[in-house]
Amino acid sequence: MSDPNQTSRWSIDEAELARLTKEARQFKGESLWSDAWRRLRRNRTAFFALLFLAAFGVISLLAPFLPIPSPKAISLRDEPGTPEWFWSIPAAPTKAPDRGAATTRATRNLWNNGWRHRSTVIFAANDEGAAEEARARVAEVSARGAVLETYPAEEGAGLAVYASVPMLEGDAPEVDYGVTDIRGTATCWEVFTSGAEEATGAVHSLRLEGADGAAFDPARVSGWSVEARGRSIRLFLSRAEARPGLGDWVVAYRLSAELDSLPTAVLLDGTLLAGSAAVSWEGTPRGAQTVKAELLEGVEAMDLGRQVAASLATSPIDGVTYMEIRHEDGYWEFKGLVGAMDRALRRARIATFGLWQTGNWMGTDGQGRDLLARIVWGSRTSIIVGIIASLCSLLIGVLYGAFSGYMGGRIDNLMMRIVDVLYSIPFIFVVIFLITVVNEYRTELEDQFGIDREKIFFLVIGAIYWLTMARVVRGQVLSLKNTEFIEAARVIGASTTRILLSHVVPNVLSIVIVYLTLTIPAVMLFEAFLSFLGLGIEPPKVSWGLLAVDGTQAINPIKIYWWLVVFPAAAMGSTLLALNILGDGLRDALDPKLRGKN
Amino acid sequence: MLRFLARRFLWFVITISTVMTVSFFLMHSVKGGPFDGERKLDPVIEANIKARYHLDWPLWRQYLQYVGPFNLDDQRALAAFDEEGGFSLWRSEGAEGEPTRAFGGVLTGDFGPSFRYKDFTVNDILEESLPISALLGVLSMMFAVALGVSAGIASALRPGSGIDLTLRIAATGGIALPNFVIASFLVILFVFLIPLLPVAGWGTIQHMLLPGFCLGLVFAAYIARLTRTGMLETLSADYIRTAHAKGLAPRTVVMRHALKGGLLPVVSYLGPATAGILTGSLVIEKIFFIPGTGSHFINAATNRDYTLAMGVTILFTVLVYTLNTVVDMAYTLLDPRIKLEDE
Repeated sequence: MSDPNQTSRWSIDEAELARLTKEARQFKGESLWSDAWRRLRRNRTAFFALLFLAAFGVISLLAPFLPIPSPKAISLRDEPGTPEWFWSIPAAPTKAPDRGAATTRATRNLWNNGWRHRSTVIFAANDEGAAEEARARVAEVSARGAVLETYPAEEGAGLAVYASVPMLEGDAPEVDYGVTDIRGTATCWEVFTSGAEEATGAVHSLRLEGADGAAFDPARVSGWSVEARGRSIRLFLSRAEARPGLGDWVVAYRLSAELDSLPTAVLLDGTLLAGSAAVSWEGTPRGAQTVKAELLEGVEAMDLGRQVAASLATSPIDGVTYMEIRHEDGYWEFKGLVGAMDRALRRARIATFGLWQTGNWMGTDGQGRDLLARIVWGSRTSIIVGIIASLCSLLIGVLYGAFSGYMGGRIDNLMMRIVDVLYSIPFIFVVIFLITVVNEYRTELEDQFGIDREKIFFLVIGAIYWLTMARVVRGQVLSLKNTEFIEAARVIGASTTRILLSHVVPNVLSIVIVYLTLTIPAVMLFEAFLSFLGLGIEPPKVSWGLLAVDGTQAINPIKIYWWLVVFPAAAMGSTLLALNILGDGLRDALDPKLRGKN
Repeated sequence: MLRFLARRFLWFVITISTVMTVSFFLMHSVKGGPFDGERKLDPVIEANIKARYHLDWPLWRQYLQYVGPFNLDDQRALAAFDEEGGFSLWRSEGAEGEPTRAFGGVLTGDFGPSFRYKDFTVNDILEESLPISALLGVLSMMFAVALGVSAGIASALRPGSGIDLTLRIAATGGIALPNFVIASFLVILFVFLIPLLPVAGWGTIQHMLLPGFCLGLVFAAYIARLTRTGMLETLSADYIRTAHAKGLAPRTVVMRHALKGGLLPVVSYLGPATAGILTGSLVIEKIFFIPGTGSHFINAATNRDYTLAMGVTILFTVLVYTLNTVVDMAYTLLDPRIKLEDE
């Protein structure tokens, strides 16, 4: 101690340190995880369950790519369709029904065998040859295979021609919102005629200027409309250069506050716009409410219909007139990353399979929707609920349990007693009650916070499944608390948060994973249960609970539609069974008592 | 034991009052109110309806009226001025000569009028439906215990045998499959393919068999697992060896000696099982069209009949809490090694 330069007996020279470090690096103990993985692989049932679940996950993720019929395309049948043999060749996707087979003009277009994600260009044609030419033109313009349906026209001679192509995202006219170079403010005035006490109307006054600061010409505005809740105003502007088949240019104003009274007239720079009520006022308007107007421009893409119309305008086909285009959406759009992935998958499907799709291998339900597609798309709901709800329960449970166990003493006692109490409440009743109340606020929630009802539903499910997790984590933390390494961390001076997050939580991870795999089937079951009762996912979306409802309703003494019961039950049962088996297997694999044994 | 009960009671009071308060204020925070239909009501009628359900009162007063114990209803008040202007605390007759109902509210077991079924109180509906649900619940619990315990013993006696394996697979399946799926299969099997039982309804014993079985099956599976584990543990205990050694018949050893210890986990499971059966009854009653409390609850929840939904929630919370306490007490009575948590 007296001489700092003298080497103490604890000091090591550089070479020794390097040697020791190398040795430590080379030392390979068997970690808990690799041991667990080895034992899980040896457990054949559990491993098989894992493979099954992986396959299930992949199928559900790739749903838009699979050449299965649309899960929401209704076709007019009078009863559920029987399963087709999977080697039988499926009928053409847009096969027209036999003439006069109980179809009317209104129902005719509903009749197909399920491929519904399509754009149909409708022409009037003189004869079959012209119709074929029109189909070829559609195929050429869209660069996709087009399918033709022809019907005799309602009036006079000629044909109504329906040329369908699988729909891509550029086909439908998309309104692409973005801030424009038009700026302005909006003011809402109450208008009083002289002498009258009550307001006789409201005037929505706009002050607009173009990008270069020039005043906006009111004559370009052909009309306006106010959304019923007074949150946005749309102006219809005529285009500077007219394009065939293109309508007005829509400019929408999203207002920062709700208007007190809906305007009956709109002033643009002092000029009353077309379609305004005849109001008159004197002097400055009273009770002016100024709201900020965010200007949004609707940009309409050159959609497929316009492309076809433009193509016909430049090189007309003899005897063919373009009528209109219809888009039929066959899938549910997901938002965000999943949505982008789905679109890519759909493109891949169209590129790979074209219009080819499987037959109804598992039959159809009462509305002609393909059961296999519904099971696959329903599994997405189950996966989403499994992920969101179990993450929610993980977060609450681990934090609660770790905190309670680490604090110990009175706080622990109180927190665990609260868990005991929550255990003894039949939570489902409270949850159902909560969901019905949330249902009342669904529009507000969507408008103001952008949270849809389903997300809340998933979160609520997760929020009630954290109790067991909290208990288990707390027990584990209690036993960890007095171990040397935690003591050491405390001696070094690590904060409570740090000890909890970087020392305690990683060590309870294995048991958390086991309980997570057991929570997932529970929440899936709960989702199916609530959907079964009509409180979860709402039609036309699909979940396994809804399929089970269809199944129970299909049971009747006259004819048993067995496929509606058997296939959803098999899907649900096997998935839940696999999850349970995997959970049990993981518990055995991660059990430290069995560690190292075979 | 008394200390334990007192603590439990304290927590019970806290729980129930939380559930009640939260659900009451949630219910009243809903905009519009339960009587807003597509058609706008005449203002006079609307005012009358609101007065009938006390919706015109301030919220705190509605809450006190709902919770009780004192009846705050103007006409039949606990304390009021009579016609001569004198103040009387207890009146045997109301203003119009109606008998006074001094106490009211949830604390006295009065859940108020139903918002949907105009001529019924929640109590009327519960009185009608609760016996049905109780019968169904007891029946399915009996199914579950009988089936589960016997299956558990059977597989514990010969661990690793074919019987054991079959029963364990069946138990895993029973846990994994939702009861509405099982119900669909059983209905197809026993109603349509082999016409033995009626499809739906309530009244005779035939009506009860299928729903009771479907409801109890999941719990039978759990009980079978628990019994198997418990029995395996007990059967390897020393005192069982002693019992065998002193020449008792195997039957006596199993039924008298081993079962007592082996069933302990099952007893502690009965509390959660009750809650589970109440939950399951929601679905089973819907499938079999049984006019029980569960189906009323679901109807109430979807029809915005808030008083009924709340009444059922509170009632079932009380029921489950009480049963859980009873089960905990029974557990300590059965197993002297275990002390009640709070002693």
